[in-house]
Amino acid sequence: MDKNTLVESMNADKEILETAKSCGHYAMCKIDFLGCGVCASGLEKHYVSFYPQGRMDLYAALAEGEIPVTRKCLEITEGCNLCGKCDYNCYFSSELRPSKVMKALKAHIADYLNNGGGIVDIPHDGLLVEIKKIVGEEWASNDPAILAAYHHDLCPHVEFHQPRYVVLPQSKEEIAALIRLLRVQGVNYVARGNGASSHGLAFSDGAVLDLSRMKTMDFDEKNWSVTVGPGVSAFEVQKAAQQRGYRVNTAEPAANVCANIMTSGLISTYAPSFGIGADNYIDAEFIGKDGEYFRLNELTAPNLFSFQNNLAEPEHLAICVSVTIKLHPRMSDEAGVLVPFDSLAKALDFSKECAARRIGLAIVILGREFISTFLAPTKGLATDVKEIFSLRLGMPYLVLLTGDTHALRSVRDMGHPLINQKLFKTLYLNIPKLKSSGWLDMLEGVSNDQLFSYLKLPQLPDLAEMALGSSSATLTRDIDPELRPFFTKLYAKPELTNLVWINTFRIYSSRYCRANPSVSLVFYLPIDNALIREIQEGFDAIAAKHRVKGEFGFITPLDCGKRCVFEYDFYFNHLDPEEKVRIQEAAREAGALLDDYDQKTGVIRQVRYLVNRGCCRTENLLYTTKG
Amino acid sequence: MGKKNIVLTGATGFLGAFLLEGLLERGYRVIVLGRPAGETKLAERLTNLVRWLDIVPGDRLLPFEVDFAKQHLGLDEKKYAELCESTGKIIHCASDTSFAEHNRTRVEAANVNSLSSLLELAGDAHAEHFYYISTAYAAGVCQGLCRETPVGTARFTNVYEETKAKAEGMISQSCAACGIPLAILRPSIVYGHSRSGKSLRFNALYYCVKSLMYIRDIFAKDIAGGGERSGKWGFRRDADGAVYLPLAVWLPERGGINLIPVDYFVATTLAVLEAENSGGIYHITCDDPPDIPILINYAERFLGIRGIRAVWGAPAKKEAANPAEELFAKFIEQYRPYLSDRRVFDRSRIKRIAPNLSTPAFTYDIFERCMTYAIACDWGKMPGFPE
Repeated sequence: MDKNTLVESMNADKEILETAKSCGHYAMCKIDFLGCGVCASGLEKHYVSFYPQGRMDLYAALAEGEIPVTRKCLEITEGCNLCGKCDYNCYFSSELRPSKVMKALKAHIADYLNNGGGIVDIPHDGLLVEIKKIVGEEWASNDPAILAAYHHDLCPHVEFHQPRYVVLPQSKEEIAALIRLLRVQGVNYVARGNGASSHGLAFSDGAVLDLSRMKTMDFDEKNWSVTVGPGVSAFEVQKAAQQRGYRVNTAEPAANVCANIMTSGLISTYAPSFGIGADNYIDAEFIGKDGEYFRLNELTAPNLFSFQNNLAEPEHLAICVSVTIKLHPRMSDEAGVLVPFDSLAKALDFSKECAARRIGLAIVILGREFISTFLAPTKGLATDVKEIFSLRLGMPYLVLLTGDTHALRSVRDMGHPLINQKLFKTLYLNIPKLKSSGWLDMLEGVSNDQLFSYLKLPQLPDLAEMALGSSSATLTRDIDPELRPFFTKLYAKPELTNLVWINTFRIYSSRYCRANPSVSLVFYLPIDNALIREIQEGFDAIAAKHRVKGEFGFITPLDCGKRCVFEYDFYFNHLDPEEKVRIQEAAREAGALLDDYDQKTGVIRQVRYLVNRGCCRTENLLYTTKG
Repeated sequence: MGKKNIVLTGATGFLGAFLLEGLLERGYRVIVLGRPAGETKLAERLTNLVRWLDIVPGDRLLPFEVDFAKQHLGLDEKKYAELCESTGKIIHCASDTSFAEHNRTRVEAANVNSLSSLLELAGDAHAEHFYYISTAYAAGVCQGLCRETPVGTARFTNVYEETKAKAEGMISQSCAACGIPLAILRPSIVYGHSRSGKSLRFNALYYCVKSLMYIRDIFAKDIAGGGERSGKWGFRRDADGAVYLPLAVWLPERGGINLIPVDYFVATTLAVLEAENSGGIYHITCDDPPDIPILINYAERFLGIRGIRAVWGAPAKKEAANPAEELFAKFIEQYRPYLSDRRVFDRSRIKRIAPNLSTPAFTYDIFERCMTYAIACDWGKMPGFPE
């Protein structure tokens, strides 16, 4: 069999190829967020290529004739033992079944070899030999099968190039040596924390330094801090901190802590309490372009606290090799509530007031898209959830607030109807039933002067549980039957329906691009209802003009309600080249719209200007007008 | 289209649908003014409706898709002129019946703001007569006898009553200015057809019964599963299968519920329509309204429950409501002012116009017929039921 025949046969499996090309590169298959384990070969080999994400990329690259069959290709293919763990992890966040791709990959490669297909040898590369002297034979490669997993993501703006090398150093000394070597050789490089990239940020035509082997975590409880290496994910450090009774402020579970803080700054729903930018760390160590180390707390360290409101590359672009972050206390009486609103203006008023009065630990306004996508275990059900909350219950916005007893009492005293922890659990586990249940009809029929006042009935959570039940089997009834038993057991775990845990570990937000990838507009601005409405309407108009889906994402208040962070998302079909063109134009216009508003108001800071300045001082980002 | 058509709004609503049926049965040609519902055109909505009504209107039903928020009802000049030419009597039945204050903008838009384009049509078409289907409760918050006279209060229970009263005033003024005779018909709470049990909407009386049924089912399910929580509150299933729900319905004072069947509403409205010199205000209400204990009795019999009792006055502070009471109280909150109503509606004018028509007594048979129909069509949620 020749390469063309292999390409043809792999292409013939349309559904498999579509699945392979739909991986959002969120690296959820690399973290054990469901407690079922992750791919054994990934853990052993560390390259993304050996994780399900990499194998999906490998399938697509082979099917599209981009790479030949190589030794690493065989090793990656054979490395999969079809254990199926990836299905649990990936189905949870993306509703994809990678194991089907893995089976197909194995079958196609076996056919290819059985029919006399050849294995292409990679030519000798002198620089690779030098790199391997630094990191060890195993930890650097220029094999296209390895490179395929580091070549692209679904970002529509970037013209991707194959890197020459992927290197996995294990220490800062190795990184320093690599930087010096690559610099001498005139080879570009980029560092990746967890080996993954999801927004077109960490790509190079030279070397990709995958730091995922550097997973050190040193807790210093006397000083309320933990120092983490550049390969540590948010989920890993959060889990370790929780086991010690603390909380850390982190972003999405698969996001790498160092990279996240340093690249674009960490954005979390805990921002009202824990801050953003430089608020999030105590100290950090870097290796500069010259291969020299520096710590931020050194007197002679470059000033990484400044913020410049433009796209220029920062002068001191450096690789963060460790960051010391704050440990925060956890209260035994913490709980979460969802406060429903029929308009964004009301949700903003409430969130602003809570932030200004310092009520609650985490506060976030979720729009109908995030509510439905996060809560529903499948895409189909997400459509129902959107209709139920947004149209039938009249709750297009929910404010998630977590806090201790005092904070939650304050929220109740403010007079807002709310969905408490118990009611949330019941509603959540019964999502598939809600649409057809008489329960919803009855609530729709309750019409009072105050919206959602039925939520104030003290015994409603009990009644809801009696009426709807509390079996996780209800939630999973539309899930792929093969996976249903696992998920039924999973959703029965108390943490999966605990608003505090959900908000801290953020595993549900990994679903946000399950239906389609997105281009996200994230920016900081004052909580000015009129300005926010104008900008949102501007985005909506751009989405309509370019025939792409545009949706409010979230808003979290910051700094006592003086500012907030706002995310709006344009969704697109990455498999449709014409739509990719339209989304590029929509994103360009949306960025220009924000530039215009910044010109007019002087108070808008876009995250795209924050790239590689994420560790800047919060005040410089939010309030300084002179660079 | 020739002259002498009756123009009807709100034909896809509860009262309008039955009125449409009555008009067509009498041989009238009816122009229905209305909106599409989402993707469903007015003509298609009416096709579904006449199928449900089981009537064959032939060419006597003329749908006219309009926008009440626009001048000339959003029609182009030619179409509007054609409509004016064909308009005889106008019956304005369209209404937003939400009581909720948070829906005020929507209710005002439907019940008040949309009037101007319809009144403009009445004037431009030199309508023969204008009939406005209002509500008995436009009388507002008052005690004792409510006469068939213009509204004399500014205090209302909710936005629905308020906007209906306001609309009465605006329509009266406009018709007087144009010299168009006006009749205002004020029905009380309308339930389904007394003989067939048919209904198109299931709010008011239906909602209260549905709430009880829903609460019964919650506890019946719990009792079937061991009844741990139900037992705590004294809820149980009796030997005869009835569910014992000790549920107090708190009402401020003794009073009745003024209920009329939709067939009585249609018959009296047609009587007014066909009477000579029928201008003025007419209460289409019940002379002898049932009270809550009667309805509780009917509901208990129908739903197989017992233990419900009406209690007048304010609940004692120390008396904590059980979950069923708490939920039922919330469900019926919006209807509470109508459940123990001490207003008496003067009916002398309507009796003069329709001396042979009287409100049928609200018997258990009628109650059962209506509720059986409601359940059979899943409270209007059954697939194919007219939207």
